[in-house]
Amino acid sequence: MDRIDPRARFIVSLAILLAATSTWNPTLLAIVFAIAILWYASARLSFKDTKLGWLMISVMLFTMIVVNTLITGGGAGGVVPPGGQLIWPNGFNLFGKHFVIGLTIERLWFAIAQLMRILSISLAFIMIPYTMDSRAYGATFSKLGLPDRLAYTMELSFRFIPTLARNLQVTMDAQKARGFELDARRGGLFGKIRGVAPLVIPVTMNAIVSSEDIANAMDLRGFGQRKRTWLYQLRYHWWDWVLIVFSIVLVIVYMVLAYKYGLKLFSVPGWWYSLFK
Amino acid sequence: MSDKVEKKPLWQFGTKQVVYAAIGAALYAVITWAFNLWQIPGAGNVGVRPSIVIPMFFGIAFGPIVGFIAGFVGNILADFLSGYGFWIWWDLGNGILGLIPGLFYPIIHNYRATASIIKGEISVVLGSALGMGLAAISEMWVSGADMNTVIFANFLPAFLTNIVWGLILLPILMVAYAAIMQRSGR
Repeated sequence: MDRIDPRARFIVSLAILLAATSTWNPTLLAIVFAIAILWYASARLSFKDTKLGWLMISVMLFTMIVVNTLITGGGAGGVVPPGGQLIWPNGFNLFGKHFVIGLTIERLWFAIAQLMRILSISLAFIMIPYTMDSRAYGATFSKLGLPDRLAYTMELSFRFIPTLARNLQVTMDAQKARGFELDARRGGLFGKIRGVAPLVIPVTMNAIVSSEDIANAMDLRGFGQRKRTWLYQLRYHWWDWVLIVFSIVLVIVYMVLAYKYGLKLFSVPGWWYSLFK
Repeated sequence: MSDKVEKKPLWQFGTKQVVYAAIGAALYAVITWAFNLWQIPGAGNVGVRPSIVIPMFFGIAFGPIVGFIAGFVGNILADFLSGYGFWIWWDLGNGILGLIPGLFYPIIHNYRATASIIKGEISVVLGSALGMGLAAISEMWVSGADMNTVIFANFLPAFLTNIVWGLILLPILMVAYAAIMQRSGR
Protein backbone atom coordinates (compact mmCIF):
# COMPACT_ATOMS: atom_id res chain seq x y z
CA MET A 1 0.00 0.00 0.00
CA ASP A 2 2.91 2.35 0.76
CA ARG A 3 3.89 2.31 -2.90
CA ILE A 4 0.45 3.40 -4.09
CA ASP A 5 -0.07 7.12 -4.65
CA PRO A 6 -2.47 8.62 -2.04
CA ARG A 7 -4.67 10.02 -4.84
CA ALA A 8 -5.07 6.54 -6.32
CA ARG A 9 -5.99 5.20 -2.84
CA PHE A 10 -8.77 7.77 -2.47
CA ILE A 11 -10.03 7.08 -6.00
CA VAL A 12 -10.19 3.30 -5.41
CA SER A 13 -12.00 3.74 -2.06
CA LEU A 14 -14.50 6.17 -3.64
CA ALA A 15 -15.09 3.73 -6.52
CA ILE A 16 -15.87 0.96 -4.01
CA LEU A 17 -18.29 3.31 -2.22
CA LEU A 18 -20.08 4.23 -5.47
CA ALA A 19 -20.23 0.63 -6.71
CA ALA A 20 -21.52 -0.70 -3.37
CA THR A 21 -24.20 1.95 -3.05
CA SER A 22 -25.44 1.62 -6.65
CA THR A 23 -27.08 -1.78 -6.18
CA TRP A 24 -28.87 -4.19 -3.83
CA ASN A 25 -28.21 -7.13 -6.15
CA PRO A 26 -26.53 -9.80 -3.97
CA THR A 27 -24.17 -11.04 -6.70
CA LEU A 28 -22.94 -7.54 -7.52
CA LEU A 29 -22.57 -6.79 -3.81
CA ALA A 30 -20.59 -10.03 -3.30
CA ILE A 31 -18.18 -9.00 -6.10
CA VAL A 32 -17.59 -5.52 -4.70
CA PHE A 33 -17.26 -7.02 -1.20
CA ALA A 34 -14.51 -9.36 -2.48
CA ILE A 35 -12.74 -6.38 -4.11
CA ALA A 36 -12.98 -4.45 -0.82
CA ILE A 37 -11.50 -7.39 1.12
CA LEU A 38 -8.56 -7.61 -1.31
CA TRP A 39 -8.07 -3.83 -1.13
CA TYR A 40 -8.10 -3.89 2.68
CA ALA A 41 -5.77 -6.92 2.80
CA SER A 42 -3.25 -5.08 0.63
CA ALA A 43 -2.86 -2.52 3.44
CA ARG A 44 -1.64 -5.28 5.83
CA LEU A 45 -3.17 -3.59 8.86
CA SER A 46 -3.20 -5.43 12.17
CA PHE A 47 -6.44 -5.85 14.12
CA LYS A 48 -4.70 -4.32 17.14
CA ASP A 49 -4.25 -1.05 15.23
CA THR A 50 -7.77 -0.89 13.85
CA LYS A 51 -9.80 -2.40 16.69
CA LEU A 52 -11.40 0.90 17.75
CA GLY A 53 -12.71 1.45 14.25
CA TRP A 54 -14.03 -2.10 14.03
CA LEU A 55 -15.69 -1.72 17.42
CA MET A 56 -17.61 1.30 16.12
CA ILE A 57 -18.55 -0.56 12.92
CA SER A 58 -19.71 -3.57 14.98
CA VAL A 59 -22.05 -1.37 17.03
CA MET A 60 -23.43 0.14 13.82
CA LEU A 61 -23.90 -3.27 12.19
CA PHE A 62 -25.60 -4.66 15.31
CA THR A 63 -28.05 -1.74 15.45
CA MET A 64 -28.88 -1.73 11.76
CA ILE A 65 -28.84 -5.41 10.91
CA VAL A 66 -29.54 -7.43 14.08
CA VAL A 67 -31.87 -5.02 15.87
CA ASN A 68 -33.62 -3.33 12.97
CA THR A 69 -33.63 -5.72 10.02
CA LEU A 70 -33.76 -9.08 11.84
CA ILE A 71 -35.49 -8.51 15.19
CA THR A 72 -37.85 -5.57 14.75
CA GLY A 73 -38.25 -5.88 10.97
CA GLY A 74 -38.54 -2.14 10.54
CA GLY A 75 -39.13 -2.34 6.79
CA ALA A 76 -35.51 -2.48 5.65
CA GLY A 77 -35.58 0.97 4.12
CA GLY A 78 -38.37 0.16 1.68
CA VAL A 79 -35.93 -2.10 -0.20
CA VAL A 80 -37.61 -5.37 0.78
CA PRO A 81 -41.24 -5.60 -0.33
CA PRO A 82 -43.75 -6.06 2.52
CA GLY A 83 -44.93 -9.57 3.33
CA GLY A 84 -42.74 -12.56 2.45
CA GLN A 85 -42.29 -16.11 3.74
CA LEU A 86 -41.77 -16.56 7.48
CA ILE A 87 -38.77 -18.69 8.42
CA TRP A 88 -40.61 -20.12 11.44
CA PRO A 89 -44.34 -19.84 10.48
CA ASN A 90 -45.40 -21.71 13.63
CA GLY A 91 -42.78 -20.23 15.93
CA PHE A 92 -40.18 -22.31 17.80
CA ASN A 93 -39.48 -23.61 21.29
CA LEU A 94 -36.44 -22.48 23.23
CA PHE A 95 -35.70 -23.21 26.93
CA GLY A 96 -39.23 -24.49 27.38
CA LYS A 97 -40.85 -21.34 25.99
CA HIS A 98 -42.61 -20.80 22.69
CA PHE A 99 -41.35 -17.89 20.56
CA VAL A 100 -42.94 -16.39 17.48
CA ILE A 101 -40.63 -14.19 15.38
CA GLY A 102 -41.75 -12.43 12.23
CA LEU A 103 -38.42 -12.89 10.46
CA THR A 104 -38.89 -13.63 6.76
CA ILE A 105 -36.61 -15.44 4.33
CA GLU A 106 -36.40 -12.24 2.27
CA ARG A 107 -35.38 -10.09 5.23
CA LEU A 108 -32.66 -12.55 6.25
CA TRP A 109 -31.27 -12.38 2.71
CA PHE A 110 -31.49 -8.58 2.84
CA ALA A 111 -29.50 -8.64 6.11
CA ILE A 112 -26.71 -10.53 4.30
CA ALA A 113 -26.79 -8.03 1.41
CA GLN A 114 -26.77 -5.15 3.90
CA LEU A 115 -23.81 -6.71 5.73
CA MET A 116 -21.83 -7.01 2.48
CA ARG A 117 -22.66 -3.44 1.49
CA ILE A 118 -21.73 -1.81 4.82
CA LEU A 119 -18.61 -3.94 5.24
CA SER A 120 -17.43 -3.13 1.70
CA ILE A 121 -17.63 0.59 2.45
CA SER A 122 -16.06 0.15 5.90
CA LEU A 123 -13.17 -1.90 4.50
CA ALA A 124 -12.50 0.74 1.84
CA PHE A 125 -12.46 3.71 4.19
CA ILE A 126 -11.24 2.49 7.58
CA MET A 127 -7.78 1.95 6.12
CA ILE A 128 -7.24 5.51 4.88
CA PRO A 129 -6.05 7.15 8.12
CA TYR A 130 -3.81 4.18 8.89
CA THR A 131 -2.08 4.18 5.53
CA MET A 132 -1.75 7.90 4.76
CA ASP A 133 1.28 9.94 5.73
CA SER A 134 -0.20 12.99 7.46
CA ARG A 135 2.16 15.23 5.43
CA ALA A 136 0.51 14.00 2.26
CA TYR A 137 -3.05 15.22 2.89
CA GLY A 138 -2.51 18.80 1.69
CA ALA A 139 -0.67 17.80 -1.48
CA THR A 140 -3.14 14.98 -2.16
CA PHE A 141 -6.25 17.13 -1.96
CA SER A 142 -4.60 19.95 -3.89
CA LYS A 143 -3.62 17.55 -6.71
CA LEU A 144 -7.15 16.09 -6.64
CA GLY A 145 -8.46 19.55 -7.54
CA LEU A 146 -9.24 21.16 -4.17
CA PRO A 147 -8.32 24.90 -4.03
CA ASP A 148 -4.87 25.50 -2.54
CA ARG A 149 -6.21 27.42 0.44
CA LEU A 150 -8.52 24.57 1.43
CA ALA A 151 -5.81 21.96 0.92
CA TYR A 152 -3.37 24.03 2.96
CA THR A 153 -5.96 24.41 5.74
CA MET A 154 -6.04 20.63 6.02
CA GLU A 155 -2.25 20.43 6.13
CA LEU A 156 -2.03 23.26 8.68
CA SER A 157 -4.59 21.64 10.98
CA PHE A 158 -2.43 18.51 11.15
CA ARG A 159 0.52 20.64 12.21
CA PHE A 160 -1.50 22.33 14.98
CA ILE A 161 -2.55 19.06 16.62
CA PRO A 162 0.61 18.42 18.72
CA THR A 163 0.70 22.06 19.93
CA LEU A 164 -2.98 22.11 20.86
CA ALA A 165 -2.78 18.70 22.53
CA ARG A 166 0.09 20.00 24.67
CA ASN A 167 -1.88 23.18 25.51
CA LEU A 168 -4.87 21.06 26.51
CA GLN A 169 -2.71 18.93 28.81
CA VAL A 170 -1.05 22.00 30.37
CA THR A 171 -4.47 23.61 30.94
CA MET A 172 -5.79 20.38 32.43
CA ASP A 173 -2.84 20.20 34.84
CA ALA A 174 -3.21 23.87 35.78
CA GLN A 175 -6.93 23.52 36.44
CA LYS A 176 -6.39 20.34 38.45
CA ALA A 177 -3.87 22.22 40.59
CA ARG A 178 -6.71 24.68 41.33
CA GLY A 179 -9.00 21.84 42.43
CA PHE A 180 -10.81 21.25 39.11
CA GLU A 181 -12.32 17.78 38.79
CA LEU A 182 -13.33 16.72 35.29
CA ASP A 183 -15.31 13.73 36.51
CA ALA A 184 -16.98 15.46 39.45
CA ARG A 185 -20.48 14.04 39.90
CA ARG A 186 -21.98 17.23 41.35
CA GLY A 187 -24.55 19.49 39.68
CA GLY A 188 -26.40 16.95 37.55
CA LEU A 189 -26.04 16.69 33.79
CA PHE A 190 -25.97 20.44 33.15
CA GLY A 191 -23.48 21.00 35.95
CA LYS A 192 -21.18 18.39 34.43
CA ILE A 193 -21.43 19.98 31.00
CA ARG A 194 -20.71 23.43 32.43
CA GLY A 195 -17.81 21.82 34.29
CA VAL A 196 -16.07 21.19 30.97
CA ALA A 197 -15.87 24.95 30.32
CA PRO A 198 -12.75 25.62 32.48
CA LEU A 199 -10.91 23.27 30.16
CA VAL A 200 -12.37 24.08 26.74
CA ILE A 201 -12.58 27.90 27.05
CA PRO A 202 -8.91 28.70 27.90
CA VAL A 203 -7.58 26.33 25.23
CA THR A 204 -9.91 27.78 22.56
CA MET A 205 -9.22 31.41 23.45
CA ASN A 206 -5.44 30.84 23.58
CA ALA A 207 -5.60 29.22 20.15
CA ILE A 208 -7.57 32.16 18.69
CA VAL A 209 -5.17 34.73 20.12
CA SER A 210 -2.11 32.91 18.77
CA SER A 211 -3.72 32.41 15.35
CA GLU A 212 -3.50 36.17 14.75
CA ASP A 213 0.31 36.01 14.89
CA ILE A 214 0.39 32.98 12.61
CA ALA A 215 -1.86 34.68 10.03
CA ASN A 216 0.29 37.84 10.11
CA ALA A 217 3.47 35.77 9.65
CA MET A 218 1.89 33.97 6.68
CA ASP A 219 0.80 37.27 5.10
CA LEU A 220 4.33 38.66 5.50
CA ARG A 221 5.64 35.63 3.62
CA GLY A 222 3.17 36.23 0.79
CA PHE A 223 0.79 33.36 1.46
CA GLY A 224 -1.77 32.93 -1.31
CA GLN A 225 -0.11 35.34 -3.73
CA ARG A 226 0.66 32.66 -6.33
CA LYS A 227 0.09 28.96 -7.00
CA ARG A 228 1.40 26.94 -4.08
CA THR A 229 4.11 24.30 -4.37
CA TRP A 230 4.21 21.35 -1.98
CA LEU A 231 7.21 19.94 -0.17
CA TYR A 232 5.64 16.46 -0.28
CA GLN A 233 5.89 15.39 -3.92
CA LEU A 234 3.36 13.02 -5.45
CA ARG A 235 4.12 11.01 -8.58
CA TYR A 236 1.92 8.49 -10.36
CA HIS A 237 3.46 5.13 -11.29
CA TRP A 238 2.09 2.65 -13.81
CA TRP A 239 0.37 0.64 -11.04
CA ASP A 240 -1.47 3.79 -9.88
CA TRP A 241 -2.85 4.25 -13.40
CA VAL A 242 -3.93 0.60 -13.44
CA LEU A 243 -5.84 1.16 -10.19
CA ILE A 244 -7.42 4.39 -11.42
CA VAL A 245 -8.56 2.81 -14.71
CA PHE A 246 -9.88 -0.20 -12.77
CA SER A 247 -11.83 2.16 -10.46
CA ILE A 248 -13.39 4.04 -13.38
CA VAL A 249 -14.33 0.78 -15.13
CA LEU A 250 -15.80 -0.61 -11.89
CA VAL A 251 -18.03 2.44 -11.41
CA ILE A 252 -19.15 2.52 -15.06
CA VAL A 253 -19.95 -1.22 -15.13
CA TYR A 254 -21.92 -1.03 -11.87
CA MET A 255 -23.86 2.04 -13.00
CA VAL A 256 -24.75 0.45 -16.34
CA LEU A 257 -25.79 -2.85 -14.70
CA ALA A 258 -27.76 -1.05 -12.00
CA TYR A 259 -29.58 1.56 -14.04
CA LYS A 260 -29.66 0.19 -17.61
CA TYR A 261 -30.14 -3.51 -16.86
CA GLY A 262 -32.31 -3.10 -13.76
CA LEU A 263 -29.90 -4.78 -11.32
CA LYS A 264 -30.27 -1.90 -8.89
CA LEU A 265 -33.14 -3.60 -7.07
CA PHE A 266 -33.06 -6.18 -4.30
CA SER A 267 -33.79 -9.77 -5.35
CA VAL A 268 -33.72 -13.16 -3.61
CA PRO A 269 -32.21 -16.13 -5.49
CA GLY A 270 -34.28 -19.31 -5.79
CA TRP A 271 -31.70 -21.49 -4.03
CA TRP A 272 -32.03 -19.35 -0.90
CA TYR A 273 -35.73 -20.32 -0.59
CA SER A 274 -34.89 -24.01 -1.06
CA LEU A 275 -32.65 -23.88 2.04
CA PHE A 276 -35.71 -23.27 4.23
CA LYS A 277 -37.93 -26.07 2.86
CA MET B 1 -14.60 50.75 24.37
CA SER B 2 -17.41 49.36 22.22
CA ASP B 3 -18.20 45.66 22.34
CA LYS B 4 -19.22 45.69 18.68
CA VAL B 5 -16.91 44.02 16.16
CA GLU B 6 -16.20 44.96 12.58
CA LYS B 7 -17.55 42.26 10.25
CA LYS B 8 -15.81 40.89 7.18
CA PRO B 9 -17.72 39.69 4.08
CA LEU B 10 -19.66 36.49 4.77
CA TRP B 11 -17.83 34.23 2.30
CA GLN B 12 -14.34 35.72 2.64
CA PHE B 13 -11.58 33.10 2.87
CA GLY B 14 -8.28 34.95 3.25
CA THR B 15 -5.17 34.10 5.22
CA LYS B 16 -6.81 34.72 8.61
CA GLN B 17 -9.74 32.47 7.74
CA VAL B 18 -7.31 29.73 6.61
CA VAL B 19 -5.60 29.85 10.01
CA TYR B 20 -8.87 30.07 11.99
CA ALA B 21 -10.29 27.11 10.07
CA ALA B 22 -7.13 25.06 10.63
CA ILE B 23 -7.08 25.96 14.34
CA GLY B 24 -10.78 25.13 14.64
CA ALA B 25 -10.36 21.76 12.95
CA ALA B 26 -7.34 20.86 15.06
CA LEU B 27 -9.09 21.98 18.27
CA TYR B 28 -12.16 19.93 17.42
CA ALA B 29 -9.98 16.87 16.78
CA VAL B 30 -7.82 17.27 19.89
CA ILE B 31 -10.71 17.87 22.31
CA THR B 32 -12.70 14.95 20.84
CA TRP B 33 -9.68 12.68 21.15
CA ALA B 34 -8.95 13.83 24.71
CA PHE B 35 -12.52 13.17 25.85
CA ASN B 36 -12.52 9.78 24.14
CA LEU B 37 -9.50 8.91 26.29
CA TRP B 38 -10.81 10.35 29.52
CA GLN B 39 -14.34 8.98 29.17
CA ILE B 40 -16.33 10.96 31.74
CA PRO B 41 -17.99 8.41 34.04
CA GLY B 42 -21.74 8.10 33.62
CA ALA B 43 -21.78 9.23 29.99
CA GLY B 44 -21.80 7.11 26.86
CA ASN B 45 -19.29 7.56 24.07
CA VAL B 46 -21.74 9.59 21.99
CA GLY B 47 -22.44 12.08 24.76
CA VAL B 48 -18.81 12.83 25.57
CA ARG B 49 -18.28 15.28 22.73
CA PRO B 50 -18.06 18.78 24.15
CA SER B 51 -15.86 19.55 21.16
CA ILE B 52 -18.98 19.77 19.00
CA VAL B 53 -19.28 23.39 20.17
CA ILE B 54 -16.01 24.25 18.37
CA PRO B 55 -17.34 24.28 14.75
CA MET B 56 -20.49 26.05 15.97
CA PHE B 57 -18.46 28.76 17.71
CA PHE B 58 -15.93 29.13 14.87
CA GLY B 59 -18.87 29.55 12.47
CA ILE B 60 -20.45 32.24 14.64
CA ALA B 61 -17.14 34.04 15.20
CA PHE B 62 -15.44 33.75 11.80
CA GLY B 63 -18.06 32.89 9.18
CA PRO B 64 -19.60 29.90 7.40
CA ILE B 65 -16.52 28.66 5.50
CA VAL B 66 -14.44 28.59 8.68
CA GLY B 67 -17.28 26.86 10.55
CA PHE B 68 -17.72 24.30 7.78
CA ILE B 69 -14.02 23.45 7.60
CA ALA B 70 -13.68 23.32 11.39
CA GLY B 71 -16.47 20.73 11.47
CA PHE B 72 -15.68 18.82 8.28
CA VAL B 73 -11.89 18.59 8.56
CA GLY B 74 -12.10 18.47 12.38
CA ASN B 75 -14.30 15.39 12.26
CA ILE B 76 -11.97 13.70 9.76
CA LEU B 77 -9.02 14.41 12.05
CA ALA B 78 -10.93 13.39 15.18
CA ASP B 79 -11.86 10.05 13.61
CA PHE B 80 -8.27 9.72 12.43
CA LEU B 81 -6.90 10.29 15.95
CA SER B 82 -9.53 8.05 17.56
CA GLY B 83 -9.02 5.28 14.99
CA TYR B 84 -12.58 5.34 13.65
CA GLY B 85 -11.74 5.45 9.94
CA PHE B 86 -13.20 7.84 7.35
CA TRP B 87 -16.95 8.51 7.12
CA ILE B 88 -17.45 11.21 4.54
CA TRP B 89 -21.21 11.70 5.06
CA TRP B 90 -20.82 12.20 8.84
CA ASP B 91 -17.88 14.53 8.11
CA LEU B 92 -20.16 16.57 5.84
CA GLY B 93 -22.85 16.59 8.54
CA ASN B 94 -20.35 18.01 11.00
CA GLY B 95 -19.33 20.60 8.42
CA ILE B 96 -22.94 21.76 8.04
CA LEU B 97 -23.16 21.90 11.81
CA GLY B 98 -20.50 24.65 11.64
CA LEU B 99 -21.72 26.22 8.40
CA ILE B 100 -25.25 27.06 9.59
CA PRO B 101 -24.09 29.04 12.67
CA GLY B 102 -21.67 30.74 10.27
CA LEU B 103 -24.62 32.14 8.32
CA PHE B 104 -25.54 34.06 11.50
CA TYR B 105 -22.06 35.68 11.52
CA PRO B 106 -23.15 38.96 9.81
CA ILE B 107 -26.00 39.59 12.24
CA ILE B 108 -23.99 39.08 15.43
CA HIS B 109 -22.04 42.20 16.35
CA ASN B 110 -21.80 42.08 20.11
CA TYR B 111 -20.92 38.62 21.38
CA ARG B 112 -22.03 39.26 24.95
CA ALA B 113 -25.47 40.78 24.13
CA THR B 114 -28.49 38.66 25.03
CA ALA B 115 -29.95 39.01 21.52
CA SER B 116 -26.70 37.73 19.98
CA ILE B 117 -26.61 34.77 22.34
CA ILE B 118 -30.21 33.89 21.45
CA LYS B 119 -29.31 34.04 17.74
CA GLY B 120 -26.34 31.79 18.51
CA GLU B 121 -28.57 29.31 20.32
CA ILE B 122 -31.01 29.24 17.39
CA SER B 123 -28.11 28.55 15.04
CA VAL B 124 -27.02 25.64 17.26
CA VAL B 125 -30.44 23.97 16.95
CA LEU B 126 -30.74 24.64 13.20
CA GLY B 127 -27.16 23.55 12.49
CA SER B 128 -27.49 20.36 14.52
CA ALA B 129 -30.84 19.51 12.92
CA LEU B 130 -29.62 20.03 9.36
CA GLY B 131 -26.12 18.61 9.82
CA MET B 132 -27.09 15.50 11.74
CA GLY B 133 -30.24 15.15 9.62
CA LEU B 134 -28.22 15.03 6.41
CA ALA B 135 -25.68 12.59 7.88
CA ALA B 136 -28.42 10.35 9.30
CA ILE B 137 -30.49 10.36 6.09
CA SER B 138 -27.39 9.42 4.10
CA GLU B 139 -27.44 6.12 6.05
CA MET B 140 -30.64 5.25 4.11
CA TRP B 141 -28.68 5.44 0.87
CA VAL B 142 -25.45 3.93 2.21
CA SER B 143 -26.65 1.22 4.58
CA GLY B 144 -30.24 0.67 3.47
CA ALA B 145 -31.50 1.68 6.91
CA ASP B 146 -35.19 2.52 7.19
CA MET B 147 -36.60 5.81 8.47
CA ASN B 148 -37.13 4.47 12.01
CA THR B 149 -33.49 3.46 12.34
CA VAL B 150 -32.37 6.72 10.82
CA ILE B 151 -34.43 8.76 13.27
CA PHE B 152 -34.02 6.77 16.47
CA ALA B 153 -30.57 5.19 16.08
CA ASN B 154 -28.72 7.84 14.05
CA PHE B 155 -30.38 11.24 14.15
CA LEU B 156 -31.84 11.67 17.64
CA PRO B 157 -28.82 10.55 19.72
CA ALA B 158 -26.47 12.77 17.69
CA PHE B 159 -28.88 15.74 17.49
CA LEU B 160 -29.85 15.74 21.17
CA THR B 161 -26.32 15.41 22.55
CA ASN B 162 -25.06 18.06 20.13
CA ILE B 163 -27.66 20.64 21.08
CA VAL B 164 -27.17 20.00 24.81
CA TRP B 165 -23.42 20.61 24.52
CA GLY B 166 -23.92 23.48 22.06
CA LEU B 167 -26.65 25.33 23.98
CA ILE B 168 -24.65 25.31 27.21
CA LEU B 169 -21.10 25.87 25.98
CA LEU B 170 -21.67 28.28 23.05
CA PRO B 171 -22.82 31.25 25.18
CA ILE B 172 -19.84 30.74 27.51
CA LEU B 173 -17.47 30.78 24.53
CA MET B 174 -19.20 33.84 23.03
CA VAL B 175 -18.86 35.84 26.25
CA ALA B 176 -15.22 34.75 26.66
CA TYR B 177 -14.53 35.75 23.02
CA ALA B 178 -16.12 39.18 23.60
CA ALA B 179 -13.80 39.68 26.58
CA ILE B 180 -10.75 38.67 24.53
CA MET B 181 -11.69 41.04 21.70
CA GLN B 182 -12.26 43.91 24.08
CA ARG B 183 -8.94 43.29 25.84
CA SER B 184 -6.97 43.07 22.62
CA GLY B 185 -8.79 46.04 21.07
CA ARG B 186 -9.99 44.05 18.01
